[in-house]
Amino acid sequence: MSDVVEMHLKLLFDLDNLIADTEEPSYKKMGFQLEEEASLVLVRKRNELLQQLPKEIAQIYEILKKRYRQAIAPVESEFCLGCFQKLPTELITRSQDITTCPNCGRILYWRKK
Amino acid sequence: MNLASLLSKDRVNLSLKPGKKDDVISDLVYSIRKGNDAALIVSTLLKREELGSTGIGKGIAIPHCRSLAVEKLEIAVGRTNKPINFNAIDKKPVSLIFLIIAPPQDPGNQYLITLGKIVQIAKEITKKNLIQKAKTPDEFIAMINEIEKSLTKRK
Ligand SMILES: [Zn+2]
Repeated sequence: MSDVVEMHLKLLFDLDNLIADTEEPSYKKMGFQLEEEASLVLVRKRNELLQQLPKEIAQIYEILKKRYRQAIAPVESEFCLGCFQKLPTELITRSQDITTCPNCGRILYWRKK
Repeated sequence: MNLASLLSKDRVNLSLKPGKKDDVISDLVYSIRKGNDAALIVSTLLKREELGSTGIGKGIAIPHCRSLAVEKLEIAVGRTNKPINFNAIDKKPVSLIFLIIAPPQDPGNQYLITLGKIVQIAKEITKKNLIQKAKTPDEFIAMINEIEKSLTKRK
């Protein structure tokens, strides 16, 4: 995955979580300003980001988002934080392509140290 | 989980450089993260601001988001000696900023709980006129601790 694609994917993921949080009842109660029209703009932005991704990655992302709400899972000490399964060693030396968890299928994300 | 324990001296900047809202948010983020991670967080925080300012009124703002760039809940505080325009809910300028960034995965919902707590604490700070009271980061954290305790007692 190129750096540009990776950044797009991360931006999309953060944005989707932002949109999801604004729909939480406990969040709404806190009293922060939330403009309805602006949230439509954010949805449009996330769709634009999605379209900028390579088609196959965009498709995987959308399928996973529907299934799990969060399509990406960070990896922490060799565990997928989506399903908490230990990842096989051969995955740890990751390839250039997008890597998904062999157990739950989420897109794996290794944080830069 | 206690809020003061999430704050450390080096995360409290009581002489944050005043400036444009976006720059101040960015400065605060870059004080705790660098490179692509910081860029991602700033981008997400500013998208949150597009929904409506996180300036909750009476001089305090609480920019917040979840981001893939952090692995645990992170808080940073910045205070400017000159109030800045934050397009706050009451249109008043802001001089105290609580920045909160949470990881995307958050099983115990620590993020929203902590955010709610900071909103409450911020309201106490404005009610008691404490924005400029602390002279050092240590004093600031002690003040937060005290307010947090008094709020817990009240419950
Ligand atoms: Zn998994």
